[in-house]
Amino acid sequence: MLETMDQSPTQSASSSTTMSDQPEPRADFLKVVDFNFHYGKKQALYQVNMEIPERQVTAFIGPSGCGKSTLLRNFNRMNELIDGIHHEGDILLNGRSIYDKKIEVIALRRSIGMVFQKSNPFPKSIYENIVYSLRIAGVKSKSILDEAVERSLRGAALWEEAKDRLHDSALGLSGGQMQRLCIARAIANQPDVLLMDEPCSALDPIATAKVEDLIHELKRQFTIVIVTHNMQQATRCSDKTAFFYLGKLIEFDETQKIFSNPGEKQTEDYITGRFG
Amino acid sequence: MNQTHILTTFEDALRALRNDVLMMASLTERNLENTRKGLFERDEDWCNTVIADDEEIDTLEVQVDRDGINIMMRFHPLASDMRNVIATMKLSVNLERIADQAVNIARRARKLIVRPEVTEIQGLEPLFTFSDLMVKDAVRAFANRDIELARGLQDRDRELDEMNRRFAEKITDLMGKKVELIPSYMDLIFMARFLERIGDQAKNIGEDTVYAISAEDTRHMNRIDGK
Repeated sequence: MLETMDQSPTQSASSSTTMSDQPEPRADFLKVVDFNFHYGKKQALYQVNMEIPERQVTAFIGPSGCGKSTLLRNFNRMNELIDGIHHEGDILLNGRSIYDKKIEVIALRRSIGMVFQKSNPFPKSIYENIVYSLRIAGVKSKSILDEAVERSLRGAALWEEAKDRLHDSALGLSGGQMQRLCIARAIANQPDVLLMDEPCSALDPIATAKVEDLIHELKRQFTIVIVTHNMQQATRCSDKTAFFYLGKLIEFDETQKIFSNPGEKQTEDYITGRFG
Repeated sequence: MNQTHILTTFEDALRALRNDVLMMASLTERNLENTRKGLFERDEDWCNTVIADDEEIDTLEVQVDRDGINIMMRFHPLASDMRNVIATMKLSVNLERIADQAVNIARRARKLIVRPEVTEIQGLEPLFTFSDLMVKDAVRAFANRDIELARGLQDRDRELDEMNRRFAEKITDLMGKKVELIPSYMDLIFMARFLERIGDQAKNIGEDTVYAISAEDTRHMNRIDGK
């Protein structure tokens, strides 16, 4: 929850709740309100409004340049690393604005983890990759770090493959394992939301299947937003799908509805390959 | 939907699937017409033709299945494309069953026509015409994406059921009075039943057509609505 953004990871890790303790999921856990976004003079998003449900997988689809990754990167304010950007409107996480002046961006990014298209492990051991952000946050207790490593690797379905080589270099892992390590690193902080920007585009079908299975497991605990160009992946993995085109949210509905009977002609044309 | 697909091979595959099923539909309609000639003109040759020609339809059913599976495997169709492929594959199954009913009628007709003609066969003619027109309209609704024509087939199927019920009742009554004609009467009752099934299959095609066009599932609505 957003309150955890004010907590240290130590508190967060030790106060982890069991599934049965979890309150009813919120339908508007991540809420986008009248959101416009500009890269300098170029407007990339137009008046986006959407409510992303808690502990479900939401897929963003659309042609390149449609704004889906831009919106994703706004969720953890990563776009702020780019010069000349500005936005109007708001994004609320669990009812609280992510632009609230009291919120530290670092805490926000701990609360909204991200996995990228290309796996990007640090040139360190598997163990150090996972505990990196915890160490930066000041966690020193070996037992807490060990517990976080096992929990995260188990959560990312990598524990069995990595438990005997935790102190080997992460760069020795296969592409699929590296991507799962990045997922493990992202969930080490026990975020509320996990953003995935084309997480399988560089993986072979078996590694892709493992990550997709993992997504299915992770949604029990996390709210997941995934950007994908692979329609079949969106149909397999997500509960809801949003279609973007030219910076506008064209349609947002249940995945089954979007892929079997979309309401908008532009969505239909895109997913059936009749665009342009 | 009317726009061309970016991938021309997908467009070609969809066109081949549609052509195969429409060919199957025209052969099925032809078989029904030949069945009518065999039965009402008392011509055994037409009956034999229907039985022999069924093979072509079986072959096309297999071809449509192959086309459909091939499209699913290669192109993973979605939305209206997916619904069209599914509806086309189901259309082929229903056409094959209609053709099988035509064969059943032709087989019964071959036995019937070697016996003295029974005047009650005239009562079968309206059922034949009614179910035959249902098949033609079902195919037309699918080919022209005519959702209203497709929807109307449900009511027409109920009407055909009622025609069949009345016909069977009348013939059953006559069985007690003209015992020597029981074998012919039995043939008539069976043939009316086959025609009623043809109506069921035409209705199924209508329902699949509605699904292909609008994604609406209209099957078993009476039972689901508790009507």
